[in-house]
Amino acid sequence: MQLFKRRESIILFFIVALIIIFSIVTSGRFASYSNIIQILVNAVPIIISSIGMTMIIITAGIDVSAGSIVGLVGMTVSVLSLQGIWSPYDWIIGLLLGGLLGFFNALLIWNLKIAPIIATLATMGIYRSLVFTVSGGRWAIGMPTLLLWIGSGTIFNIPFSIFLMVAFVIYFIYFMSKRVTGRNIYAIGNNIEAARTSGVSIGKTIFFIYTLAGVLYAVSAFAILGRTGLAQSTMGTGFELEVIAAVVIGGTNILGGEGTIVGSLIGALLVAVIEDGIVLSNIPPLLTDFVLGALILIAISTDVIIKRREIA
Amino acid sequence: MINSIKNSTVDDVKSLEKNKSIALIFLNRKFLLLLLFIIIYAFFAVFAHNFNSFQNIESIMIFSVEIGLLSLGETLVITSGFGGIDLSVGSMLGLSAIVIGELIGRFGLNIWLAIIIGLLVGTGTGLFNGLMIVYAKIPPLLTTLATMYLYSSLALLVSMDQYGNAMPISNFPSIYSIFGQSNILGIPLQFILFFIPITIILYILVQKTIFGKHLLSTGTDEIVSKLSGINVNKIRLWVYTISGLLAAIAALIETSRIASARPDLGSNMNLEAITISVLGGTYIFGGTADIIAVFIASILVTMLDNGLFLIGVNTIWQTGALGFLLIGALILDLIIRKRSL
Repeated sequence: MQLFKRRESIILFFIVALIIIFSIVTSGRFASYSNIIQILVNAVPIIISSIGMTMIIITAGIDVSAGSIVGLVGMTVSVLSLQGIWSPYDWIIGLLLGGLLGFFNALLIWNLKIAPIIATLATMGIYRSLVFTVSGGRWAIGMPTLLLWIGSGTIFNIPFSIFLMVAFVIYFIYFMSKRVTGRNIYAIGNNIEAARTSGVSIGKTIFFIYTLAGVLYAVSAFAILGRTGLAQSTMGTGFELEVIAAVVIGGTNILGGEGTIVGSLIGALLVAVIEDGIVLSNIPPLLTDFVLGALILIAISTDVIIKRREIA
Repeated sequence: MINSIKNSTVDDVKSLEKNKSIALIFLNRKFLLLLLFIIIYAFFAVFAHNFNSFQNIESIMIFSVEIGLLSLGETLVITSGFGGIDLSVGSMLGLSAIVIGELIGRFGLNIWLAIIIGLLVGTGTGLFNGLMIVYAKIPPLLTTLATMYLYSSLALLVSMDQYGNAMPISNFPSIYSIFGQSNILGIPLQFILFFIPITIILYILVQKTIFGKHLLSTGTDEIVSKLSGINVNKIRLWVYTISGLLAAIAALIETSRIASARPDLGSNMNLEAITISVLGGTYIFGGTADIIAVFIASILVTMLDNGLFLIGVNTIWQTGALGFLLIGALILDLIIRKRSL
């Protein structure tokens, strides 16, 4: 536990340092109120999805179909809304669809015993093909403002999506530390045999987390949709990688058993700060991926070094 | 001891004793794939116009080479265990391709020198993956996820012109097209001179050499292998490096075939390479590899893509079909294993 506290503070320190550097480079524009809000809004989809991904990775799983689920949900609700479905119904359909897609992942992983990376790689391809089928290769544009409201609406001049994200984060921090299912997730990741013998229903938990993750991806899809105002067949491509990066930078162990929602939140903020800062300081955007990749390597290897020292 | 680990898990041995004849046929991945191959071939030959023509078969051969090489590299990596997987094969291909392209197209370097540098770059990227995994102890999934970003971003940087835009290179001299556009007795050169020899070399490497036995043993049980004096780190370093080299060779062939080098070449080949490898019987937790089966699987998948295209299925369903194929193969695995136990 001490280790995570330390890690989270290191990353927070890193974020603050970056904010100062970017602010100096952009002569204050970076630290302006509107830009900070912008960074948060950009981070919302990653943060909400990272909650589900954190749970999955804690059980030593992984879900690379996240981006395709975001794309399929986003495209489906857009197409439906253009055909005149009332937006609140559309929201429900989107959440159910996300849950269903996640449930299907769990079916492959639990019932067919396919390794999570392989199962979700397969569904990543299948779901992406479905996006193209739903869209017919065309953009969806001109959706009703009500549908886009989750991502674009504001309350007291603050974007609604930020409130939504904060609510999700607070609830799931509570969920992971106090609720039985939350503790079971850690138990499974730490020692699956011990969890089984102490009566944890592993199958149920696996189904729960993948389905929940699917629902959370659907929420992210609404947030992205509201921000961009249009849905393309490529919507969400590469999104899963950003989410996984945020989660592992935030200290979740890819081998399972350790990880926190707070860590993933901070990891996602770091990713968002860097992406925004690179654009504002006129660094070629081609470098964003480079920085992200380097960051993952640095974060994990320092983790390994710290752990080695503690063992020694 | 290593011999007993060699090709079959304990479960397989048990099942063989129990139900020898059926198990022998069905546990043989090559037989299953050949059967599937014949069924798919027959289906498309009947329903797809022009599928059963010499020209089409030639193009299936051409298209199978690049993805086949990546799948072979992926197979070695997955076989080495410790969660071995290489998500960066496509990015290594892209980076090597653009390096070769820039050296020839923009700097006018001697072709052979440029190719050697390109191959070295690919090998170097693979070696870097290996070093991070072996010495920094970062799990392969994360290492290659990070380097996938790094290499594809580097490829974009290398291809940048003075205005900061990523530019493709396509002014290759005509002699460069020899690797991807020529044929020997009607059979594509890259198939005969690259794909088949590399497959045979890797087959020998895995099945007949000490290195191969050590590799299979490392993937099966790391601790036992260490205790038996196998240098596990060296084995892992080698497989990731080989994967990089194979990606660079694939880059050479692809840039020659399409006479152009783009930084995003190979960007969607990661999923396909892993699928083909698993379809070819590579056990995702390591320790089992069947190089010949992976060879067959890469032709099978290329043929499926080609056939689906010819009967008018939209090309966007290629990734979907791949996903179904992967799940189908694994379900088949499950049924066979359950039956034979």
